[in-house]
Amino acid sequence: MIGIVVVSHSRALAEAAVGLASEMVAEDKRPVIAVAAGLDATTFGTDAMAVSEALAAADSADGVLVLLDLGSAVLSAEMALEFVDPSVADHVRLSSAPLVEGLVAAVVTASTGASLDAVVAEAERGLVGKQDHLGDAPAAEAAPVVEADRTVEVVVGNEHGLHARPAARLVGLVNGFDAVVTLTDLDTGRGPVDAGSLSMVATLNAQQGHRVRVGASGPQASEVLAAIEKLAAAGFGDEPTVQAAPTAGGSGLDVAIGPAVLVGSGVDLSGYVAGDNELGRLDDALEAAGEQLRELRDTTPEHGDIFVAHLALLEDRKVLTAVEHAVSGGSSAPTAWQDVYDDLATTFEGLDDAYQRERAQDVRAVRDRVLRILVGATEESPADGILVVPELDAATAATLDATRIAGIAVRAAGTTGHGVIVARSRGIPLITGIGDVDVRPGATIAFDARTGSFEVAPDEDRVQATIRERQNERAQAVTRADEPAITRDGKTIDVLVNVGVVQDAVDAQGADGSGLVRTEVLFGDRRTAPTVDEQVEAFRAIARALENRPITIRTWDIGGDKPLPFLPQAKEANPFLGERGLRVFRRRPELLRDQLEAIRRVATETPVHVMFPMVTTADEVAWALDELGPRDGLEVGIMVEVPAAALRVATLAEDLDFVSIGTNDLTQYTTAADRTNTAVASLADGLDPAVLQLIDHVVRNAGVRVAVCGDLASSPQAAVLLAALGVTELSAVGPQVPLVKAQLRQADLSQIDTAAVLKARDADQVRGLL
Amino acid sequence: MGVDSFVDWLRDAAGVLHENAAYLTELDSAIGDADHGANMDRGFQAIVAVLDESSFDSADELLKKAGMTLVSKVGGASGPLYGTFFLRFGTALAGADLSAEAIGRALHAGVEGVLARGKAELGDKTMYDAWAPALEAYDAAVAGGSEVGPALTAAAEAAAKGRDATVPLVARKGRASYLGERSAGHQDPGATSTTLILESAARTLT
Repeated sequence: MIGIVVVSHSRALAEAAVGLASEMVAEDKRPVIAVAAGLDATTFGTDAMAVSEALAAADSADGVLVLLDLGSAVLSAEMALEFVDPSVADHVRLSSAPLVEGLVAAVVTASTGASLDAVVAEAERGLVGKQDHLGDAPAAEAAPVVEADRTVEVVVGNEHGLHARPAARLVGLVNGFDAVVTLTDLDTGRGPVDAGSLSMVATLNAQQGHRVRVGASGPQASEVLAAIEKLAAAGFGDEPTVQAAPTAGGSGLDVAIGPAVLVGSGVDLSGYVAGDNELGRLDDALEAAGEQLRELRDTTPEHGDIFVAHLALLEDRKVLTAVEHAVSGGSSAPTAWQDVYDDLATTFEGLDDAYQRERAQDVRAVRDRVLRILVGATEESPADGILVVPELDAATAATLDATRIAGIAVRAAGTTGHGVIVARSRGIPLITGIGDVDVRPGATIAFDARTGSFEVAPDEDRVQATIRERQNERAQAVTRADEPAITRDGKTIDVLVNVGVVQDAVDAQGADGSGLVRTEVLFGDRRTAPTVDEQVEAFRAIARALENRPITIRTWDIGGDKPLPFLPQAKEANPFLGERGLRVFRRRPELLRDQLEAIRRVATETPVHVMFPMVTTADEVAWALDELGPRDGLEVGIMVEVPAAALRVATLAEDLDFVSIGTNDLTQYTTAADRTNTAVASLADGLDPAVLQLIDHVVRNAGVRVAVCGDLASSPQAAVLLAALGVTELSAVGPQVPLVKAQLRQADLSQIDTAAVLKARDADQVRGLL
Repeated sequence: MGVDSFVDWLRDAAGVLHENAAYLTELDSAIGDADHGANMDRGFQAIVAVLDESSFDSADELLKKAGMTLVSKVGGASGPLYGTFFLRFGTALAGADLSAEAIGRALHAGVEGVLARGKAELGDKTMYDAWAPALEAYDAAVAGGSEVGPALTAAAEAAAKGRDATVPLVARKGRASYLGERSAGHQDPGATSTTLILESAARTLT
């Protein structure tokens, strides 16, 4: 793949242009794009040395395309060619293409593996779509003069028509096949245009509902048409909009008992007999798997994006080529398929980033789906009992009968897998990280996620008693959930719900609003940044589900263990101490600005608070307030997670309306212990008196409302202590809201000896006092 | 004349450009992007910083370093243009005797670099409108038996005339060309800085 260098006077301009263009193609298919722009982040200018370094960074045997703005950018780029090794300079092309349009066209074309010449030609045609639209252009070029061998008709289902991103997907798809493809819009008569060229597809301007005739010729004409039909049927890959439709049905408890149902230990291939048409069998199986996934996508709209991702894996050309190669080399279809997908899963597992690593389970889910079809095994759909799985894939979690399954025990640790998120949202009792416990099928097993216990052959009476106790506790709490939480000594505590997906708000019972909307989770499955409109729609849906009670939207909290696919970050040696939360946006504020705009817009319709995560200094607060602009009734706060922020909260909160303590991070930064590292996790105890002393300090010195939105607020006992310390707002996970409220109603805060708690020796002593 | 004279020249030019930074920017704000003074000042101050830290054994080494510094620090089109001038000027002096003739050849090499880089022609309202008459005057003075100092004085005087002659011209290169006819009536900032640099050379390279 060729490399691309962007030379501009302004670093902000170059980075924004790169961001815009990068949106067009999936991360793993993007060409290397190096930027040489500005003398520093804010001083306009170009530097020939910087350009030569960018050339070296983007250098590829396939060539390097340089796109530039004006004036000295051109002179500096020419000069840079004199500085680099002549063997590099030989395959560098400086292009007069328009910077923005040219870059978009170049990135898309390059992602298909096109030659430097082809990419240059596309970049230079970058203006055609706009010129054509505005009517000040030379007429669109004629389509390739090839008579189409075959044609199909597809309908554009996308809301905004065949706009940039879907067009990019189409072009990427077409260029992966050995075929010439043309498009004609039958509703406007435009075309035929070359479907392998982004600029030409843009000139078609096909709107929603238009019928498009796709013609193809060449060796892979029928394959490419079939693929285009699939893509069109999938809305050209546009993400489904905000999810709704409740599919809950689980008990919502954190405890379960039942016979073990063991699944997912791979597909047995021993009975498979290879034939003389393995490729044909594979094609049939892929076809059938595609059908299944499309059906799952269409019948589970709230998780549809997961199956769109599975479909993309299933149809990955590169992977398919590898499988076909192995089959041609004599492997049976299942063996070839399994080997290639195992390798792919291993690749994912080898990645540094935990989120990416967990995508390996998507790969294995697709692998097993096809293998089951190949060997004729039916998809196991376990019903009664506790499902014990090595890992939980989303398809299983989404299709289980939640009213019958008692619970799910996952051997692997990790709580951000698709399957875990889906199961939790459906109220299915769930425990993760049980490890290699030996469990026989049918054996009675039980778990209690509240205490973290997993037992084989438990004392059934005791477990049943616990279940009854939790059910009662829950039933009583739920009955009174909508009543306010007023303590016996007359203090009203607001108990709110933490929201990661819209469903959390829909399912919440008795929440006085949301004290934490995790925007990075809300859009975490997206490969591209959501638009302002999409964010407005999601925030609005959350507010509506909570009957327009106040919602507290936290701006993107990424970095650390929470990467966002659409905001790639450089690898850091210490991500938890690196660019996290607000820190990420000081250098690249664009995404944050979009989000703040969406928040301001929703705030005109419904009560909204906004808070900024991972704040350390007053400068950061000032910067964030400056980015936010006029508040217009919007309440503004920060998260207190960093001990420095807790200690100087009086300074930080001067211009704020509230602060919200994130106890998870505050605990790990105070105790210097990583909660995900089992060797030291016990040190990271939220009830450590040192953490409580910081919370006490914040309450006494903030001068504004103090909330807690970390895990501590979800524990009924800890919630009472927090309230006694003076916290007036607690935001808990959904199922705990009624329980927290119930506990508060029984408490007399004046009777709690907070002084003794703060002086306690350790967390255990604190527990003893509660 | 040796390396020290060239060091003096660069320091003197840096001083003059610093004093005139506001003036150059004002000229540039009329027909360009209002950064020429600041850009040249930044570039030459960076050269002064290099001179403060390093010493050079030969004029060509010194001038090439100055050129590279301008390339990286100026930011605007004058970076690659003056950068190229000093790089080529320095390269042409490698192993030369620093006679009036040798310096003349080096000046020509430098200005040819500027031309190749900027692709300007006489009358485009650019720094070349100062460089071209300056070279002509320098050559004539040397042909008439002048030493380096007087030849450079003649060159600087000719550059100033060329600079003044840019006032009525319509710009055909650079940011000013976007203004078209409206660029007429303003003196070209590039021709102005070229004249300042040549006047500085006449004072120091003797």
